[in-house]
Order: sequence, then C-alpha cells, then structure tokens
Amino acid sequence: MTNKGQFREGVKDALPIVLGYLPVGMAFGLLARNAGLTPSEVGLMSLLVYAGASQFLAIEMIYKGMTWLPIVLATFFINLRHFLMGSNLSLYFKNTPLRLLGFLSAQLTDESFAVAISNLPKVKNNPPYLFGLQITSHLAWVIGSIVGALFGPFIKISEYGLTFALPSLFICLLVFQLKSVRHFGIMVVAGVSSLFFKWAFQGNWYILLAALLAGGIGVVVEIINEKQNPRGGSQEAHG
Amino acid sequence: MFAIIFGMAVVTFVPRFLPMAFLTRWVIPERVKIGLGYIPTAILSAIVFPILFFNGGGKVVIQPHDLLSAISVFIFSWKVKRLWASVILGMLVYWGLGFIM
Repeated sequence: MTNKGQFREGVKDALPIVLGYLPVGMAFGLLARNAGLTPSEVGLMSLLVYAGASQFLAIEMIYKGMTWLPIVLATFFINLRHFLMGSNLSLYFKNTPLRLLGFLSAQLTDESFAVAISNLPKVKNNPPYLFGLQITSHLAWVIGSIVGALFGPFIKISEYGLTFALPSLFICLLVFQLKSVRHFGIMVVAGVSSLFFKWAFQGNWYILLAALLAGGIGVVVEIINEKQNPRGGSQEAHG
Repeated sequence: MFAIIFGMAVVTFVPRFLPMAFLTRWVIPERVKIGLGYIPTAILSAIVFPILFFNGGGKVVIQPHDLLSAISVFIFSWKVKRLWASVILGMLVYWGLGFIM
C-alpha cells in the first residue's frame, strides 16, 4: 500500500477515538475556561501538552491557585506511564529515523496506543499509519477543547451533572487499568493510603505518596512471587 | 500560565520520546517494567478516592450522592469500555440523583 493509503487507513482507525475525544475535549475546554484560562490558552495547552488526565488535573490545580512547579511535577508523574507504552511501541519501529520518532512519540496517548497495539500488522515499521491515527486524534482533542472553551461561558458548570464529568473520567480510566486481581489490590492500597496522606499532609502530595507506596508494594509482591515460583509469576518478556 | 503550559509540554514529551529513542539499545529490567505498570492504577486511585470520600471540610465521610454515581460509572465502564459514554453516563446519573437526594 502507498504511504497515502496507509495514512488514510490510520485516519479511519482513529474515528472511535475522535468520538471519545470531542466531548471529553469540550468538557476540558469548558472546565478550563471556568478555571480562568482563555480559549487560546486552552487551545495551546491541548496542542502542546495533549494529555487528558494531566490537563484536567492541571486546571483543577490552577483553579486552586497552585503554582507551575507542583503542576508540572504532577504532570510528569502521571505521564510516566507513557514511558511503558513508548517502550512497547519502540519494538515495532526499529528502522525509523530519530527525528520522525520524536514527532510520532509526541502524539502518543493511551487511546491511540490501545488502537495501535490492536492493529499491530498495520503499525509495524509503518510511520504513515501511526501518523494518520495520531494526528486525527490530536486534532479532535484540540478542536473539542477550543469549542468547549468558546461555548463554556454559556453553560452553567453546576448543571447537567458537569461537576461529575471529571470524577467519571478518572473512574473510567481507572477501570481500564484493572486487568488483574493484583491491580485491584493496588487500587485499594493507593486509594486508602491517599485518604490517609491527604488527611495527614497539606497540599497535593497525597497523589504521589500513595502512588509510590502502592507501586512499591506491587513490585515487592511481584519479587516475592517470582522467588516462590520462578517463571510462573510474571509474564514472559515481550518481543 | 505559559510557564505551566510549556513546562507540561516538556514533561509530557520526555517520557513519550525517551523509550522510543533509546530502547533499541537498552533492556529494561522486568521488575522496573512491573513497577511502572502499576503506576497508572495507583495514581488514578489516589485521585478518585479522595474525591469520593473527602467532604468540603476536609473530613473523611461517606457521600451517597457521589458514591452511587461513582459505582454506576464503575460498573458501566467495566461492561462497556467506552470512555466518553462512561463520562456522559456519570454526568446523567449524578444529575438525576440530584433531583431525588
């Protein structure tokens, strides 16, 4: 298939993501406007940052009057998960030039990654397909958030359950992560300890403290399990 | 505001790009991979639980309105696996419960 044909194929496969990104992007633009961002700042953030959960968390923190450092730190730790996804995708782009990889990886998201790894034959050593998939999703996110920012002032944030849009998003993303009994354990440890850390310490550190605690316990459990039955505990290395 | 946006742009780019750039040369230890694999679950839980169980006065409480809405979203997204549909359902349930609670 030609480059153009593969690009088109990627655009087509992005349509379910577009359906998801437009309304969530609009919700973001609306809430960001409510937190004091201008429509151009909303568009710029969606264009350059392009990370749903981090952007929602950032406007929550901006709304609470926090400065750039805790916001950027929280963003960094939330997006550390892309390190794993990038690691996985890199297996399929061994011969691609670095400059092109830089461009492709800047548009990596949970959703485009999920679609990409379910279409591996199309993805393998095929930058035009991944580019088509990702640029379409990215555009939907930017357009959705600008539309939300422009029409935000006409919608009352307290109505139609909009206050619960953010919690719903995070709950749903959390459910997507729960792939095993161990993930449920991690959820309980992180959730309960976050309540304790929030009660015990000022500021927003509870998220990082709880995540590090739960992640650490997860690794320890994994190591103990591996020692008890070698090879049985963890999945075989990929690739 | 621009410090926030550009700072966020840099730190979102780094973890996306680094593995793409270097992983052909490095081998990530399995345990590190496993630990990183739990981070999203842990972070999202640490965001969700305080939203549900902390009231405005900084006390840990049961808030039936939030909790019932959250359980609906949890079950729905578990079955349907659609992000936007779950968000809209959560909003509708929360809105609807507002009339009766």
